[in-house]
Amino acid sequence: MAVGDPERTAILDIDRLQVSLFTRRGVLPAVDGLSLTVAARETVAIVGESGCGKSLTALAVMRLLPEPPAKIVSGAVRFMGRDLASLSDRAMRRVRGKDISMIFQDPMTSLNPVTTVGDQLIEAIQWHNDVSRREAHARAVELLRQVRIPDAERRLDDYPHQMSGGMSQRVMIAMAIACGPKLLIADEPTTALDVTIQAQILELIKELQASSGMGLIIITHDLGVVAETADRVVVMYAGRKVEEAPVEALFERPLHRYTSGLLGATPSAKRRRGSRLAEIGGSVPALSELPAGCAFQNRCADAFDRCRTERPKLMPLMPGRTAACFAAEEELSRHVAAIGT
Amino acid sequence: MPSLATDFVRRFARNRAALVGLVLVIALIGVALAAPWMFPKNPLRIVGRPEIWPFVNARFPLGTDSLGRDIAAMIAHGARTTLLIGLCASLTATLIGITVGASAAFFGGWVDEMLMRFTELFQTIPNLIFVLTIVSILGQKIEYVTIAVGIVTWTPIARLTRAEFMSLRDREFVQACRAMGMGNMRIMLGEILPNALPPVIVLSSLVIAGAVLFESAVSFLGLGDPNISSWGRLIGDGRTLIRTSWYICAVPGLAIMLTVLALNLIGDGLNDALNPKLRDR
Amino acid sequence: MRRIVLRRLLQIIPLVFAVIVLNFVLIHLAPGSLFDVMTSEQQITDPAMLDQLRHTYGVDQPTWVQLVKYIWSVMRLDLGFSYRQNAPVLDVIMQQLPATVILMLAATAIALLVGVTAGVMASVRVNTIWDNLISLGAVFFFAAPSFWLGIMMTVLFAVKLGWFPVGGMRTIGTDNGAFADALDVMYHLALPATALGLFYAATYARVMRASMLEVFRLDFVRTARAKGLSPARVVLAHVMRNALLPIVTLLGLQLGTVLGGSVVIEAVFSWPGIGSLLFDSVMSRNFPMVLGVLVLGSLLVAVANATVDILYLRLDPRIRLR
Repeated sequence: MAVGDPERTAILDIDRLQVSLFTRRGVLPAVDGLSLTVAARETVAIVGESGCGKSLTALAVMRLLPEPPAKIVSGAVRFMGRDLASLSDRAMRRVRGKDISMIFQDPMTSLNPVTTVGDQLIEAIQWHNDVSRREAHARAVELLRQVRIPDAERRLDDYPHQMSGGMSQRVMIAMAIACGPKLLIADEPTTALDVTIQAQILELIKELQASSGMGLIIITHDLGVVAETADRVVVMYAGRKVEEAPVEALFERPLHRYTSGLLGATPSAKRRRGSRLAEIGGSVPALSELPAGCAFQNRCADAFDRCRTERPKLMPLMPGRTAACFAAEEELSRHVAAIGT
Repeated sequence: MPSLATDFVRRFARNRAALVGLVLVIALIGVALAAPWMFPKNPLRIVGRPEIWPFVNARFPLGTDSLGRDIAAMIAHGARTTLLIGLCASLTATLIGITVGASAAFFGGWVDEMLMRFTELFQTIPNLIFVLTIVSILGQKIEYVTIAVGIVTWTPIARLTRAEFMSLRDREFVQACRAMGMGNMRIMLGEILPNALPPVIVLSSLVIAGAVLFESAVSFLGLGDPNISSWGRLIGDGRTLIRTSWYICAVPGLAIMLTVLALNLIGDGLNDALNPKLRDR
Repeated sequence: MRRIVLRRLLQIIPLVFAVIVLNFVLIHLAPGSLFDVMTSEQQITDPAMLDQLRHTYGVDQPTWVQLVKYIWSVMRLDLGFSYRQNAPVLDVIMQQLPATVILMLAATAIALLVGVTAGVMASVRVNTIWDNLISLGAVFFFAAPSFWLGIMMTVLFAVKLGWFPVGGMRTIGTDNGAFADALDVMYHLALPATALGLFYAATYARVMRASMLEVFRLDFVRTARAKGLSPARVVLAHVMRNALLPIVTLLGLQLGTVLGGSVVIEAVFSWPGIGSLLFDSVMSRNFPMVLGVLVLGSLLVAVANATVDILYLRLDPRIRLR
């Protein structure tokens, strides 16, 4: 499943997206020139620490950015050929919830507490489809069954606070797939849930993807989730994409030093299933205080002069993979030189 | 801690509306204090032709009323009444409120229950009706009006004091005091009260505004002290002439409104300065 | 749920009881014997009548007996007799009560409509000229005494423009049937209800604005937008329904002051409710009537409070279904 496989044409093509935060401290590059594609049936995971810009990327795709202070400054977000960044509000609303859906981290607070689950589901269905309430009701029951909620008919009359975290997230997923979207974005879908429920939810999402053929973006900081669900992984740091690779390749041999730090292992060690991000010494620099050169330099054991003066660009260091790391570049060219002529 | 106080003052000063309020209140106090000099004789004397409009005659900048009394003089002296009653009623309300609230919070249990029912009682009785009842039974003297107004405005202070005390009661420094063997009274008055006071003081400024409105309503109805010139009474007296000389009602009403407005702005400013984190808009 | 409702309604009883006791305390605070005052002011000289009154009020007996007698008579809905109107106090009050209730309801309706709308508009256009104008308006109407507003409105709309009547509840001499009568009352109700309601409109506007701004930041609003809903739908179907809850609570807390405020407004507009009655009774030292108004007014507020609390229970499913 290499990038550029002719069978998989991109449904989402983020092209050098630039999202800036206009604050009192200045203009901060929260998402700095990110490019990313997702094809039908493909799962792309975006990994990184909190504040790296992964959620803002998702919100930018959905055009749900908090308008002050955030703004899409440049770049394109092409979905099925159309640039979402340049659509009118009204046109974008026809895409949201219908062609692209998003689910969020905390299902318990993501549902309206004073209306029933059924009413919220039916609203999602009726808003984009011209159906009667009865038809919408029937479809809602069907959706709840699809997300494996028992006693679906009765559950429609429940209020969100009467449901557990896992069930609420299933309802969110049901709302998201209600209109058959071509792309689903899941922002930390299991972070707020019990460990036992997490696997079930991820399994459910994958199943729904398989049966509908939709593309899936999973945003997470949990490597276990990445290992279980992703086809390809994008690693972000301080607003920049620093590495991209197919999932097994990434775990087997991380190129960027940040990635290897995350995996808590040396480049050659195997990844452990279900492992969380290891602690890397130091902390992410504030967006207002980014150093010249590589953003990771202060925490990198392999940083050298070039890292401090020149900003590394994403290079296809290995087939089907890119990374923005001079140390990795050096290492690989030595390796090639050593293997030889 | 001096730095907290200067922070507070600086935050307050940044609020333009609050500063406007402060200026107005200072002006009010100024007029009230200066009234005996500006208008030395009894303001209720007749000094000119009746029903002269404001800005027409230089001697009577705010005009004269139905009997020929100088409105400007009555307004100036009315400022004293307003301030006096406002402050005294507010003080009464604050004393009652703090006592009830602090006792309820500190003693808890059935004392708390009883005091809260007591508070609820005063919240249910329609305020103005109660004031009028007291005034009608006890008599139309300024002291009774003041006390009556104080009696109907203490409930929000009691509620706030109780809430503040309850949140402070469980804090570590109180436990420490208790461990040191301090008695209840001492803890309540010496430790908790000074910390609970700031929000209560903020509320008091709004209570003064409420007291001003109550008193003006009572005097408007003609049930205030007949020997005191009060803004409310001026409005009441001017009612019969609204077809021709409606300024007699308009001017004192404006004075009341500006006073209440100023107090509200200050109260809001104090509130914002106290809770900076809630200020994000 | 039904049990909570019942419990809430039963709470009214001790409250009214306390008001009655308070009444009694007030009676005894009056300088001189209240009995003497009542009888001499109302000029009762008939000895048989005096004897009967002495018996009813138990004047010669110890205080606690008087208290019990008083409570008992109030419980039997005997609030005394008013010589001024030559009728039992209760009857007089009940006759005038509907007018006050109409005024209070109309004022509250205006306050909610204007206040909530203004608050929502201000919050949707935060920090723009609209927001500032609305906030400014709220600040002014919050500070202006309602009786003064009433007079100023009378000057402008009744005297100068002639759009509305100067006072009263009905136009004398017309009798065109129930519907025309209702319209006539509404025509007379416009100015007094607005004067009374604007103060509360200002409060509701401020609270609604703050409440809306808080709800806007909650997660489920983001979900609603992610569903592709229009901004109007998000505000109306999702944000407002949550933001209105504090307003309902506030409504309950202010009912006592609304009734008090109506006293003054009724005086300004000659509106024939219990406010006018109270005013007249205070002027004529008709104490049984004054105290009767106090008791019934408190009862009215207590019932209205309970109603609002129950309404809140219905609106917030989180409490209802615990």
